[in-house]
Amino acid sequence: MSDEIDLDTQVGAESSDVLSAELREALDGLRDEIRSRFPVRQRAPVETIDWMALAQQIQRRLSTLGMSERSGEVDEFGMDEIVLRRARPLLDLLYERYWRVDLHGIDRLPDTSPCLLVANRSGLLPYDGLMVSHAIWRRRANQRPRFMVADWLITLPFVQPFLAQLGGVRACRENAERLIRSGASVLVFPEGQKGAAKVFRERYRLKRFGRGGVVRVALETRVPIVPIGIVGAEEAHPILFKWHAPARAAGLPFLPVTPTFPLFGPFGFLPLPTKWVIRIGEPISIDHLAPDAASDELLISRMNEDLRSKVQTLIDTGLSDRGSVWE
Amino acid sequence: MNSPGVIAITGLGSFLGSSLVKRLLQRSPDIRIVGLDLRRPFRLDPLVQFHTVDLTEPTSDSRVAEVLAEERAEVVVHTAFRSEPTADREMDHELETIGSLHVMNACAAAKVKRLVVSSSTMLYGPWPDNPNFLTEQHPLRGHPGSHSVSNRVQVELLLEKWRLRNPDTELTVLRNCWIFGPSYSDHVVRYFSRPIVPKLMGYDPLMQFIHEDDCVHALETATLNRHPGVFNVVGRGVLPLSTILRVAGKRILSMPSPILYRMTDYPSQGQTGDPPEGFYDYLRYLWVADGQRGWDAFGEPIYTTREAWMSFISTRRMRRYR
Repeated sequence: MSDEIDLDTQVGAESSDVLSAELREALDGLRDEIRSRFPVRQRAPVETIDWMALAQQIQRRLSTLGMSERSGEVDEFGMDEIVLRRARPLLDLLYERYWRVDLHGIDRLPDTSPCLLVANRSGLLPYDGLMVSHAIWRRRANQRPRFMVADWLITLPFVQPFLAQLGGVRACRENAERLIRSGASVLVFPEGQKGAAKVFRERYRLKRFGRGGVVRVALETRVPIVPIGIVGAEEAHPILFKWHAPARAAGLPFLPVTPTFPLFGPFGFLPLPTKWVIRIGEPISIDHLAPDAASDELLISRMNEDLRSKVQTLIDTGLSDRGSVWE
Repeated sequence: MNSPGVIAITGLGSFLGSSLVKRLLQRSPDIRIVGLDLRRPFRLDPLVQFHTVDLTEPTSDSRVAEVLAEERAEVVVHTAFRSEPTADREMDHELETIGSLHVMNACAAAKVKRLVVSSSTMLYGPWPDNPNFLTEQHPLRGHPGSHSVSNRVQVELLLEKWRLRNPDTELTVLRNCWIFGPSYSDHVVRYFSRPIVPKLMGYDPLMQFIHEDDCVHALETATLNRHPGVFNVVGRGVLPLSTILRVAGKRILSMPSPILYRMTDYPSQGQTGDPPEGFYDYLRYLWVADGQRGWDAFGEPIYTTREAWMSFISTRRMRRYR
């Protein structure tokens, strides 16, 4: 029984094998026939890139790129706390290692009340303002004097945004008075552009202090004037002579020719690593003067000259104390 | 607040004019408002008495004076100024300067109590030697390249002369900075609503905006109360241009100034007029105004510069995504 069944199934399997092979062949033929008659366009698998999503992603990256290094709010003169915090290591490096700044007489500065700091100007770029402001801020965390910058520099493209973020303000009476009234100390350079444009042989000889605008601001706002002498900064950019012709085309007052600029191109703009000494002098109080003293031209001119000689004395002390330009 | 009497508003179709009407009627429906414009605004409130006046016509001064006398108007609010630039210099001068002169003369003839004129802090002009905050005493130096700004400066000079000749009429001039908000639109707003915003390379001035609600509020307060003088109507706080654009997630196209000026000169001298001539100078130098006097008179603005800007971009976003 079992044999028979075995045989039977074997035969059956054999015949069905043949049959299914024939059938498969016929089916394959039919399929080929169908395929050849009705060709199906084979689509190659395409890697789909979502361009819109990619573009949006890039846009988001680009638009937030600039925001990481600045804050959404600035103070009313454009100083940006986040930019300052990020610039602090660089400013510290310049302060401690590059110019090895010494600060004398920080105790003479009024503790909290605003004052008008008056210093000698040097160099085309306002490194001196940055350094004095940084020096005072390192010792007095609640005070960061705003430094005033000449017109042509504060409107110079590419320089202007950075200066404003680091605390630079265009030098004019309205700005100085507004800053002092808001409780900030202001660092001014009454020599103005004449100071920045001093050639090397005129270094540390103070130019005229404007027309007494500094004294006038102090009298208007009733704050003390603090003279400051900066020694070293005037050798950082030793201007050999001024070149006027090419500067006029670029809208600059003049083109300084230093030992390194324009010889080494943009690298020539790097200041020399001279040794700096910042001396803060005794504050000049104006409390004893009557409120209407601001209209006394002779008094203002006398005070202005007095202030100039005080800054000059501070510079001269610094010069006689130091050994060399580099030490 | 003393009862203001009849209020006449020129330029009823302008944003400031129509918003002022809405505000005044919300405050009290008893206020009598007379509206003057070139054509009747769409969906004008029936409480408003409307008169058709074309300020560019030579005899419009007597026509306005007639209307003012007939309606016994006591306060005139002059807001008939263009918010859109036009390449038609002559037309611009006719409407802005001569039209304002007509209104001034009509006010003098009708002996109104108060004249309120809307002006702009753009008239101080973008100058490299501007102080960071321009007070109302600062001279209006305008922009020599922009005829619309020059015309508005002329209006202010005429107003100053008019004030001296008519000491009995209180004159209030409201100089507002660039307005932003959910519904306001002009060429400045259009510039800032582009997805890619062209900007001068290397310049990043501080900008100052005011929200439309604060601007209309100041106008309303000046209309209803005695505030003679000139006021800057600005928001608190300033923001650098690049921060403004980045906060909104805009892409910035920084271009060197000579190229950008050349690119925009030709279209603006042609009929497109967008942006107007000299516009990019306003994105180059400072022209931020000191708003203390205005805040003292009209109250603290609700929106700061940043909040006005955020209010504007958030409504734009909602509109785009529905």
